[in-house]
Amino acid sequence: MILSHFTALVVFGVIVSTVFALITKNEPRDQLRYGIFVFLSFLAVAVVVGWIMYPLPL
Amino acid sequence: MDQSNDRVEPSSQQAAVESQPMNMMATLAICLGGLLVPGLAHVIIGKWVRGLIFAACVLVMFALGLAMHGKLYNLEFDEPLHAFAFIANIGAGIPYWIAERLNLGIGTMTFPSFDYGTTYLWVCGLLNYLIVLDAFDIAQRRKP
Repeated sequence: MILSHFTALVVFGVIVSTVFALITKNEPRDQLRYGIFVFLSFLAVAVVVGWIMYPLPL
Repeated sequence: MDQSNDRVEPSSQQAAVESQPMNMMATLAICLGGLLVPGLAHVIIGKWVRGLIFAACVLVMFALGLAMHGKLYNLEFDEPLHAFAFIANIGAGIPYWIAERLNLGIGTMTFPSFDYGTTYLWVCGLLNYLIVLDAFDIAQRRKP
């Protein structure tokens, strides 16, 4: 199975944010809000770091 | 008046029993079960919806890691730093040993998603450690 970089990131973010939300929050509403926040943070940080690394000769 | 007291006492006793931390040996046994089978600890202590979601998350991540030709690490003494990868991998529990028995997780370095697969396999094991710690806290009544 070959996933694109972005798809792998999205799947990773969904799973990890789900576990983080269920572990750290107790109320379903808080869990949903925190899970969405962590997921969007994963995406945002990955995109920002990707653009920062883009000009580097790696 | 006496009847109302009789009504109040059982519920307060029940609440007191529910707020008591679980026996430490029982808690450790439950945590061991959770280490072997992801999500099992939460199912045993009655948080079965949460346990099933955790089990699905860890097992899906593990399966995707294997499907992406990720590598499962063994304990190799000539490569000491691989011990960290091994510790992360065995967090998945029984699925790790089954995959080892079936010769899965050999890891194909030339495969495009090898790095992603290996990372998935590490992270699902590490997540299971966090899940077991969460079950420990619930059993010890440190969180609801």
